[in-house]
Amino acid sequence: MKRERIKELVSLIHEISPKDRKIKIMNVCGSHEHTITYSGMRSLMPENIELIPGPGCPVCVCSESDVINAIRLSQRDDTILVTYGDMLRVPTKEGSIRSSGRNYKMVSAPHEVLKIAKENPEKNVVFFSIGFETTTAPTAALIEMGLPENVTILTSQKLTPEIMEVLVKDEEVGVDAFIAPGHVSAIVGANAWRIFPEEYGIPTVVAGFEPDNLLLAILRILYQLREGRAELENVYRGVVRPEGNVKAQELMYKYFEKADVNWRGIGLIPKSGLEFRKEYDNINAKKVFNLPEIKEEKVKGCICDKIVLGKAYPNECKLFGKVCTPSNPKGPCMVSMEGACNIWYRFGR
Amino acid sequence: MCVGVPMKVVEIDYPMAVAEAKGVKRQINLMLLPEDEVKVGDYVMVHVGNAIEVIDEKEAEEIWKVLDEVMAALEEREDF
Ligand code: SF4
Ligand code: SF4
Repeated sequence: MKRERIKELVSLIHEISPKDRKIKIMNVCGSHEHTITYSGMRSLMPENIELIPGPGCPVCVCSESDVINAIRLSQRDDTILVTYGDMLRVPTKEGSIRSSGRNYKMVSAPHEVLKIAKENPEKNVVFFSIGFETTTAPTAALIEMGLPENVTILTSQKLTPEIMEVLVKDEEVGVDAFIAPGHVSAIVGANAWRIFPEEYGIPTVVAGFEPDNLLLAILRILYQLREGRAELENVYRGVVRPEGNVKAQELMYKYFEKADVNWRGIGLIPKSGLEFRKEYDNINAKKVFNLPEIKEEKVKGCICDKIVLGKAYPNECKLFGKVCTPSNPKGPCMVSMEGACNIWYRFGR
Repeated sequence: MCVGVPMKVVEIDYPMAVAEAKGVKRQINLMLLPEDEVKVGDYVMVHVGNAIEVIDEKEAEEIWKVLDEVMAALEEREDF
């Protein structure tokens, strides 16, 4: 049944897609890119429709400075660095947490930090919290539960709608429409994307991760483009509410506030991330350990910055698949399972 | 890192809970949902161990189906 529905959607897409112009539809979610790539969706599209991956993975855009600070913290005898598995192999000029770090532990949920802290009362436990809204809200939940004395948090948290606004203004990217990320939207709410249709005239559809749901989103986008409309639509209603998860938003902004943050390969973007509010200096690892801002050095040849911004595809990088592979990543986009280079390497186009 | 997984809540000791997906149980955190909005038997979308939204059973099943396909595709190409 599913198969038939997919066939039907694809043929509708062909039928209504405008023949006279190129259309660039950007997704900003690693999971979307994953579905698109592994299901071979690009080859099902009419020739003039381009599905481009945007800054979908927080691991890829985590600033090098934050990763180096995490590595250095893990080298201290009195400290245990705790983070998500994907962060362990992110390369920097000082190696990765796995190759250069000493005391580190991997978790798959922030609350696991509590157990580590309890078992190691004589150590500083630093939780390296990276990610978009989907991981930042859980970090806020951890703080809300009450942190033990020996726990601090090193943040590298990014905001999705804010980076998309940067992309919209970049003419080189030339996005015609957005597929908005399903789970980020569950937190921030579908309404968070309203500015794109309303202020920039860009059709935006919130979608889930099933191939048919993504195809439906593409179809809705094409209808809008054909009729010259720009609206916000949500085809992932079972999970995403217009207002999002209000409690999660409240918790996030209770502890954090918007700040100018560094995106790896891209640079400082005003108000595009979250940092601790002043009142929480005592649990802010950047303050407690007086961490420096370290200048970023890019690997020669790596074009992650362009890939993250949708200006190039992974296979346009000279290192792709030859020098740079998932087992020996040179740039951040090859590390995470949600990174565009990594996904393309594993599943081809 | 942050692929969302639907799970069924089987035990609650708010804010912590035990949830189950495909026979695997895991401790999850419900802090991001108001206490009165989630009960035993509900399906929730879980991200890094936190329930971020209550969803219905049908939605949960749809998503599991896709995740299964992804897993199968991953296993086929276990070359990294
Ligand atoms: S849910 Fe968030 S972090 Fe996970 S793949 Fe989507 S955008 Fe990336
Ligand atoms: S293939 Fe490797 S080096 Fe090239 S852009 Fe991707 S991550 Fe960077």
